[in-house]
Amino acid sequence: MKERSSGIRHEVGQRFRKITSAREVITIGAAVVLLVLFTSITGGEFISARVLSILAIRFSEVGIIVLGVAMVMICGEFDLSVGSVSALGGLAVVGLYQLGLNPFLAIAIAVGVGVTAGTINGLVSVKSGLPSFIVTLGAMMMWRGIVTLITKGYTLIFDVRESHPAFYTIIRGEWGVVSAPLLWFVGIATMLVLLLNFSRFGNHVFATGGNKEAARAMGINTSKIKVTCFMIVSGLAAFTGVTQVTRIRGFQAMHGTGMELMVIAAVVVGGTRLGGGVGTIIGAALGSIIITFLEFGLIMARVPGFWYKVILGIIIVAVATVNEVLEKRRK
Amino acid sequence: MKELPLALVEMRNVHKWYGKVHAVDGVSLTVKEGEIIGLLGDNGAGKSTLIKILAGYHRPDEGEIFIEGEKVRINSPSEANALGIETVYQEQALVDVMSVARNFYMGREPVKRAVFLDKEKMNECMIPLRTLGLSIKSPDLLVKSLSGGEKQGTAIGRAMYFKAKLVVLDEPTRALSVKGVQTVLDLVKGLKEVNIAVIYITHSLHYVYSVADRFVIMDKGKIVKDIRKDEAPLKELTEVLIG
Repeated sequence: MKERSSGIRHEVGQRFRKITSAREVITIGAAVVLLVLFTSITGGEFISARVLSILAIRFSEVGIIVLGVAMVMICGEFDLSVGSVSALGGLAVVGLYQLGLNPFLAIAIAVGVGVTAGTINGLVSVKSGLPSFIVTLGAMMMWRGIVTLITKGYTLIFDVRESHPAFYTIIRGEWGVVSAPLLWFVGIATMLVLLLNFSRFGNHVFATGGNKEAARAMGINTSKIKVTCFMIVSGLAAFTGVTQVTRIRGFQAMHGTGMELMVIAAVVVGGTRLGGGVGTIIGAALGSIIITFLEFGLIMARVPGFWYKVILGIIIVAVATVNEVLEKRRK
Repeated sequence: MKELPLALVEMRNVHKWYGKVHAVDGVSLTVKEGEIIGLLGDNGAGKSTLIKILAGYHRPDEGEIFIEGEKVRINSPSEANALGIETVYQEQALVDVMSVARNFYMGREPVKRAVFLDKEKMNECMIPLRTLGLSIKSPDLLVKSLSGGEKQGTAIGRAMYFKAKLVVLDEPTRALSVKGVQTVLDLVKGLKEVNIAVIYITHSLHYVYSVADRFVIMDKGKIVKDIRKDEAPLKELTEVLIG
């Protein structure tokens, strides 16, 4: 470990002294290691076009939420409700479609439902002063309960492939390795990079997460920034819910359970600081790729599924530790 | 005939209670243009509450505030900034994990094409920083890599650049090296030269004595002494402080 980090320091050296760069180098390195490892274990199967296109759809769907969670964590908050809000979005689009609404209108309303859920998360946590960890834990349970109550546990069918080919193509189209989810992922990531790194709002997000008091003293409305970040992540979670129900062609109440911790894992692996103020969208995108590689690679290597969680757990703590040590050294 | 300098800030009979605690008890304080005031007192004397009222963090329960003769209500830190009052808290002025340039323009970022940060304009923050004699190498350096004196300098330079009329420094020399302290004291004198008033909050006379024009000593929410330096020998002031 020591050799590796000093190697990175040497290599990256004077030119990229920013921690963000060092953090991303570690993340890229980890992705490459996993890619090589799983490719060799599976005898090349891992990088076949078929597997890569499945991987891409998977990390794109998870990744869209991861990008939003990264925003929330950079501004210094947590969101545990993304899995449930994604279910809420999926249910909204399926339910409204079954009531006879056009799917395009249904998706707009579903994302609106997500944004509303995010606004509630944000307002409650900012106004009450409670940690968002607790507020969104409550929201996670509440929305999950509501979704289960509405569906009564039944699976709802959502097959729009033949009936609405345009909608299906935009949400689920596939052209070789390139797919609609991948394009959405890349597009949303690009927008968020512009927002976070090149806009005034982005500077306020970093300031809010880095030192809330300093941000307030300079006239930044930190509450507004936080609520906006919660709105973004929940809107993205609801959207992902829609893409998933379109792909699976149905909705069931357990949709997205367990996702909340996996996405936090991806954000941390992507180099975002747990306390806020530091992180990049590119890193978060890489983080989603890594956890997806790990999930699929282990399955393909015929490792029993439980190992995925064991390894993921170890990686989260290891990456967070390395970043912490690097940060202290640079101080 | 020369006009008397106008009072830049006047606080009249300001009160603030926290529950039963009378944190600020009828304080009246006048600050003139380009004046350096040493605001002294022990912990809990009411210094920071008084300043937080001026900086827009707290609203006074009673009393009035005038800026250049005009009665104002300061409802938020950004309103205080707009009135020309900048507060520099050592721990709270800057975001450690952000670059010098991003800190400098925090909350007042220049933009081009309506939304994008104007990075070229942001790099211009190096000009006022160099004028202050700070040798920060690049606007992209993270603030946490700066020395204590450089951090204070960046915050003070920011206040100057955005045309502050009054800069409030809260314990600006705490945790600084000897060289850092000298940097800060030079900065304070520099502010006076460009006619910016300074309220220098501290609980020891040690460094502030050399730069201040006037001393205001608080105890239990009240001003117990308000005296010009030429009328106040160091020994007497020390006695009031300890007394």
